Amino acid sequence: MRRRGFLKALLTFFGTVSLASFAYPLVRFFAPPSSSAVNEKVVLAKQEIPIGGSKVIVFNDKPAIVINVPGKGLIALSKVCTHLGCLVEYDKDKNRLVCPCHAGTYDLQGNVISGPPPKSLPKIPLRVDGEQIIIG
Amino acid sequence: MVMGEKIRNWLDVRIGLNELIRTQLAEYRVPKNINVFNALGTIAFVGYLIQAISGMFLMIYYIPHSDHAFKSVQDIMTIAPYGWLFRQMHVIGSNLLIAAVILHMVTIFLMGNYKRPRELTWISGALMLLLTFTFGLSGYLLPWTQLSYWATTIVTSIPTAFPVVGEYISRLFRGGDYVSGITLTRFFALHVSILPPLFLILMAVHVALIRRIGLSATPFGKSDEEKRPLTEFRKKTHPDGYPYYPYLVQKQALMVIVYFMVMFAFITFAPTFFFPEATTVPADPFRTPETIRPEWYFLAPYQMLKLIPNKFLGISMLIVVAFLFVFWPFLDTQKEKNIFRRPVLRWVFISLMIGWVILMWWGKR
Ligand code: HEM
Ligand code: FES
Repeated sequence: MRRRGFLKALLTFFGTVSLASFAYPLVRFFAPPSSSAVNEKVVLAKQEIPIGGSKVIVFNDKPAIVINVPGKGLIALSKVCTHLGCLVEYDKDKNRLVCPCHAGTYDLQGNVISGPPPKSLPKIPLRVDGEQIIIG
Repeated sequence: MVMGEKIRNWLDVRIGLNELIRTQLAEYRVPKNINVFNALGTIAFVGYLIQAISGMFLMIYYIPHSDHAFKSVQDIMTIAPYGWLFRQMHVIGSNLLIAAVILHMVTIFLMGNYKRPRELTWISGALMLLLTFTFGLSGYLLPWTQLSYWATTIVTSIPTAFPVVGEYISRLFRGGDYVSGITLTRFFALHVSILPPLFLILMAVHVALIRRIGLSATPFGKSDEEKRPLTEFRKKTHPDGYPYYPYLVQKQALMVIVYFMVMFAFITFAPTFFFPEATTVPADPFRTPETIRPEWYFLAPYQMLKLIPNKFLGISMLIVVAFLFVFWPFLDTQKEKNIFRRPVLRWVFISLMIGWVILMWWGKR
């Protein structure tokens, strides 16, 4: 009887261990490797964006927008709405960035004005070097 | 006829055909007062069968890659002979199937048929409903249209409201930081190879339990529900009932015909009903279309999420609702099955229905 109990415990132990040892590989297998694109700079010519104008770029694989805000100069913002990930559009007349999905609105600094977005649009560092705009 | 007789005999020797027919069709009795709503479960099953078969046909031409998916689906509609028929059956079928499953659940609820000893039947059914929604969700991405792409972007962002694990779950579904070809592969795997066996297992449990326990009598009017101790099992043989064949089979056949009629009415008279404009444009990860709306069965929870300002609170509420739903038989422990004698439950039900309809209508605007 004692031998049987011992064998049972042994079987349970090794069975559990062999099953459990699959857990870590599985978690790793399903989660994708984190994105490879790291801060690749985007360079634009200054005359591409007149005052009040804008240009959509791809930064780190994600859409972003560079706006030449009248009176405030150039700014680069992520286009990905912080609510549920739709892409905001630049409304030139109202000076706003508007999300088509649930009507989230942001000002041209990326701050939330109205709607469900929980935080402001991330700013992307931007620097003007002579005739060039360097983003990233 | 002689030939038929011979085949029958041959089979009887090998699989006990006569005994199967006797025990499963003739001696299996159903209560006298069941009605066509008792055939809705069968409709759900037949609906699934149609999805499985039309889905196999679609897989003959569909290409699960972000560069080709949209084109291959267009080709199914325009080039493959009768491809449009099977795609329409699959798309319209998916919507009808969900409507049928929801109706099945509502009637089970109204008749109190989830009560002891059928708690597990309800739970397996509730899990199948969630599974059915997951089928719909994963299938939605496969044609790789603007609508698929952005609806999936929204849905897969929802878990990010959760601290700590949210990001991981979202990335798990997307296979990256945003919806991409990797997501398409994952959803395809889910839709055609992970969900179907899960469904089959749950379905087997569901049906085995129903056969073991016996169908409930309708709690309205004359009821033969017997009083017995909570711990004891006695199969409901309904000695005063009617044989399953042909009594219930007739009703099931009628409902199957109605199901097909509705399906082909849609295909014939409203073929674009389930194809809004954004389904005719290929996915463009750099442009969000003007109107992006989930399918009708997700509108109510979607609108709820929009209304609750705190994302985390909204999603937690949805999860709580799902839990209450799955474990409902353990929460409603009253013995009375007849909803006409349960004023509180009746009002809970009516307000839930009204709330759902309002949210759905609101979400659609
Ligand atoms: C998803 C696909 C589903 C299929 C294929 C299915 C299939 C069936 C079938 C064939 C029956 C027997 C006949 C009838 O009473 O309709 C049945 C009964 C039942 N179903 Fe489902 N069902 C599904 C979903 C659900 C859901 C979502 C629920 C509830 C949450 C549910 C709860 C029940 C219960 C409690 C019974 C027992 C009825 C009785 O004993 O009278 N089922 N189901
Ligand atoms: S995704 Fe932008 S407001 Fe919801």
